[in-house]
Amino acid sequence: MSDSVVFERREFLKLVGVGVAGTAAGCAAPEAEKLIPYLVAPTDVMPGVPYFHATTCRECPAGCGAVVRTREGRAIKLEGNPNHPLGQGGLCARGQAGLQGLYDPDRIKTPLQKDGSGWKAITWDEAIALVAGKLGEAKGRSLLLTGHETGTVRSFAGEFAAAVGARHVMWEPFGYEVLRAANRATFGLDAVPHLDLAAARCVIAFGADFLETFGSPVAQARGFAAMRAKRDDGAGHFIAVEPRLSTTAASADEWVAPKPGTEYALALGLAHVICNENLGTAGAERAAVKAAVAAYTPDAVAQQTEVPADTIVRLARLFAKSGPSLAIAGGVATQGTQGTALAAAVNLLNHAAGNTNRTVRFDRTLDLSGLASFAQLVREFEGMAAGQVDVLLVSGTNPVYATPAWSGASEAMAKVPFKVALATAKDETAEACDLILPMSHALESFGDAWSARGVYSLQQPAMKRLPMFDSRSFGDALMAIGKQAGVGANWPESFHDVLRARWQTLHARFGKGRDFDTFWMESLRDGGVFEDVSAAPVRFTASYPFAASERQGDGPLALLVTASNNFYDGRGANRPWLQELPDMTSKTVWGSWVEIHPETAATLGVKQGDPVKLETSAGSVEAPAYLYAGIRKDTVALALGQGHTSYGRYAKGRGVNALALLPQATDAAAGALAYQGANVKASRGAKAMDLYEQQAEKNQHGRKIAQIVPVAALLGGAAAGHGEAAAHGEAAAHGEAKGHGDAAAHGSSGGHDAHYPGHYPAGEHVHDQHPSMSRPGQYTEPLARPEGWQPPAHAITAFEPELKVRHPKHEPVREGSYKNAKHRWAMAIDLNACTGCGSCVVACYAENNIPVVGPELMRRGREMAWIRIDRFEEKVAPGASDVRFVPMMCQHCGDAPCEMVCPVYATYHNPEGLNAQVYNRCVGTRYCSNNCPYKVRAFNWFEYSAPEKTTFAFPEPLNWQLNPDVTVRSKGVMEKCTMCIQRILEGKGHAKDENREVRDGEIQTACAQSCPAQAITFGDLADPESAVHLKSFGERKYWVFQELNTKPGVTYLQKVTRDTMSGGPA
Amino acid sequence: MTKIIAPALIVCALVTASVALSQSFGVKLGATKGPQQPIEFSHRIHAGVNQMDCLYCHSSAANSPWANIPAVSQCMGCHTVVATDKPEIVKLTDYWTRGEQVPWVKVHKVPDHVKFNHKRHVRAGIECQTCHGPVETMDRVYQYSSLKMGWCVTCHRQNLDNPTHPASMDCLVCHH
Repeated sequence: MSDSVVFERREFLKLVGVGVAGTAAGCAAPEAEKLIPYLVAPTDVMPGVPYFHATTCRECPAGCGAVVRTREGRAIKLEGNPNHPLGQGGLCARGQAGLQGLYDPDRIKTPLQKDGSGWKAITWDEAIALVAGKLGEAKGRSLLLTGHETGTVRSFAGEFAAAVGARHVMWEPFGYEVLRAANRATFGLDAVPHLDLAAARCVIAFGADFLETFGSPVAQARGFAAMRAKRDDGAGHFIAVEPRLSTTAASADEWVAPKPGTEYALALGLAHVICNENLGTAGAERAAVKAAVAAYTPDAVAQQTEVPADTIVRLARLFAKSGPSLAIAGGVATQGTQGTALAAAVNLLNHAAGNTNRTVRFDRTLDLSGLASFAQLVREFEGMAAGQVDVLLVSGTNPVYATPAWSGASEAMAKVPFKVALATAKDETAEACDLILPMSHALESFGDAWSARGVYSLQQPAMKRLPMFDSRSFGDALMAIGKQAGVGANWPESFHDVLRARWQTLHARFGKGRDFDTFWMESLRDGGVFEDVSAAPVRFTASYPFAASERQGDGPLALLVTASNNFYDGRGANRPWLQELPDMTSKTVWGSWVEIHPETAATLGVKQGDPVKLETSAGSVEAPAYLYAGIRKDTVALALGQGHTSYGRYAKGRGVNALALLPQATDAAAGALAYQGANVKASRGAKAMDLYEQQAEKNQHGRKIAQIVPVAALLGGAAAGHGEAAAHGEAAAHGEAKGHGDAAAHGSSGGHDAHYPGHYPAGEHVHDQHPSMSRPGQYTEPLARPEGWQPPAHAITAFEPELKVRHPKHEPVREGSYKNAKHRWAMAIDLNACTGCGSCVVACYAENNIPVVGPELMRRGREMAWIRIDRFEEKVAPGASDVRFVPMMCQHCGDAPCEMVCPVYATYHNPEGLNAQVYNRCVGTRYCSNNCPYKVRAFNWFEYSAPEKTTFAFPEPLNWQLNPDVTVRSKGVMEKCTMCIQRILEGKGHAKDENREVRDGEIQTACAQSCPAQAITFGDLADPESAVHLKSFGERKYWVFQELNTKPGVTYLQKVTRDTMSGGPA
Repeated sequence: MTKIIAPALIVCALVTASVALSQSFGVKLGATKGPQQPIEFSHRIHAGVNQMDCLYCHSSAANSPWANIPAVSQCMGCHTVVATDKPEIVKLTDYWTRGEQVPWVKVHKVPDHVKFNHKRHVRAGIECQTCHGPVETMDRVYQYSSLKMGWCVTCHRQNLDNPTHPASMDCLVCHH
């Protein structure tokens, strides 16, 4: 005892303290960090500087132009290509999430050969030899099945198939069979036209989800925004005709809910009224159309469709008088047993109203030639089942998942002795194959897409192939197989050479005297070659044998199978961003849900989130109920895209596959799979399940978060007939005022006492209901400006930088660089343009390294998104419809409630008007979030960036996508929208380098850049010429919760509503 | 129980503490400052004796937020003919012939939540030595400045009214 050292407790603790500190330091002292230089530096790449590559998005057949931002050789962000005719700078949510296909942690790493029930890795050489050998043995009994391909990829696939004696079949689940069949029938033309929404003055969509999956959604969203912005005479109405109010239809002024399967009759009824009353611009051959629709009188149609006859007459008159107008059919909701009939009926309607060749244009038609119909695919399966195919090569399509079981895909594949999947991920079809060849992602390989007439879009690798995946591009893989099989002796070295050779023909047409290499490099730089195209006018050739049909199977309810805005046909399901992006109708995430009318649910004894069992003759599924007033009482809806049994960790085992419910039925005329037309039995399900709701409350409870203004009020009151034209006219003029002086003059000159549509000052003269409103919903009366009114401090900052007063009663802040501040960064969000597509949300996830938290945390409100789209349902019932989408992010308040409660000054106001959040200063009290009226702050409850944690959100190689300009936040830290400060600094840096001021529009936030409808404008409010200034101080402006006097830097522009009930413009 | 554990803990504490101390002081103190590099590259010879411009090798410092370490090929641009027999150059040549990058040890490091922009500072006319110290006298480069925020802010505060390149005191400039 005496020999040993005895410690006093205090001393012991000291030593232990040192020991622990030492140990901690010893352990924490990282291995000396290394700086690895290039061995040989690339001549044109500089570390720390982003490089951009134009390419083509391959996430769906639309083929929009994209620009890839790369840093240090890694693609980190996908954006729209402003020079590309498809997309014009926008990119949808699915397109943005293409990066997660590239960095998919479940991507196939090496060629895999089936080994019993498992897989065995083999080399490419072995795999190629195996395939080539089998193709040789098959002696022509082989099949190459691909998704939709165009341009050189298609021609080379065809060449390969011919050389090895295979047949090349292309198939898409969302094919355009019905549209093509209808156009063949009525116009004698096998084409899918270009819809010129921007030129239309009234749009009726017959179930077409043209803002989600149908056609070219990005280009259509831009056209739609242009159409809705038009208000010279109050035109721009949008009417949705479908049994369920879809996300696209949420933007509509009126929802007409016909009996499912009778939409075609409604279209014919409208055509009947137009012909009979001789309305609008008569298309040629109107007499023929009139004869074809003679039987479809409003009364007869009303009986068939359950839509009142006066509604039919009213809509017909509105549609015809608003010429050129546009009726749209297409998409999954159109594709039923009556699909071709509906598309043909819509053709008749368009023709009767004189829209053919005007808004329905056959110039920039989508290239869908050679796409097999579903019926043809089933015949291929029958052939395979009959043993006619010895070798099957599948690429870019997933028929085992995307066709109903009765199509026989699985059985057919089981009968094929040797099946090869050329795939990036192990989807259901790849699982059913004997060999998987790992494909390079589109962002790693050369290709092209000639997806519309006159659009020759190039696809180039934005980066070197990811090293952890031993992949090859589709073209190169086919080439290697062909060469091994002893064919293609005249093929060049690589697919890149094939591509260049094919582009020689384009060089001949568009080279304009440049040599080929120059032409090639410039085409790569621009993203392709685009020519203006025209078309000979299309003539109406014949009508279509319309006939009512019985719905299939027993059951009191109609089944509506909908396309998913997030997952398309299911191919997006393994992208975590898309799983976490709420569906914009139900606002649910990470799973399936059954949309059912509350009254119908009540009869079943089903409450929100309760399991519902749906049964048809084909099968049954169970999913949680989502009670939705926007669906007919006799209809239930289920979205496609989920229910994968394979395909990766994010997709597998989530939700149900709606295809399991589809009974054996096709649209005979088109050979299309009938997604619609089945009856279904619904009952309360047995197993408890979770409905992951991101936004459960869709009522804004009168809070005026999302505001509207009737178009009549903007037109100076003339259209509404309440003599306020003069006042509104002046107000509009004020909106254009370029400076504070003008504004002040207007403000004090009187005459604006009652109808000045400004949003200052807060909280005064706000009426709940405008007396002139002829329809329900809330409309905030334009605020009056009282005597002696002065703009608030924030506005002064914007107008007159010398009066930089943040708090009007205090001295200007002279600390720091406040005196040098030149800008006031701000945003204007046009609710009239926003369609709730979710593109901005995904763009923000990508740009700002936002972790995906998964369903359980989402439900607990621990979503990390910096921008969300709130959906508010004012009126969801057949008739005048009012659903509002509000993109909501940090409002960068001039007097921010969050700033004043932060005990450590982690959130503060920066000199340029940004509400800043300093992560390294934040101690995680969450006071700021509690005090934020907009609820836009996200707290890191867990460690999302530490690989050892279960909440880790960036498993290798998803972490390769992280933006190096943005800090990856750790646990215990608050975060929120920064208005992409990294982009602001980058833009200011460019301006400094060139010794000039920042140009308006030069800096764009990620959300503003991606928005297909250009609803978001970012810029410098202090620049009176800037777009954001003009919008923020123009008409329709308001601030959310302006009564709180937070002085937000985000100004919203009211959604413009149009009255369809009074018959539209005179 | 305490008595048995305590001596063991002392040993453990002393060992780990000394390791930690030597590691942390290795950068600042000791006979030769700075960490040992895989090749004893001397900035004194290059930037001092031979008067080479810093940007000759670290060219992106003036054009990118990030300063670069020259590619091995750039070293070899001279050293295929210059001083090829020196042992350190032989090491370099070996890396080159093996096609291997030189794993230089990082000396200057700021945390992830700091976004330092080299280009802005170089273009504002700030000498490299202002932050990196007299590199042209260093055989082995060591961290001259603390690189702590107070150190950054001191300079920024002094340059708030700089007529041509006013510095910013805004947190967001570095923290985002």
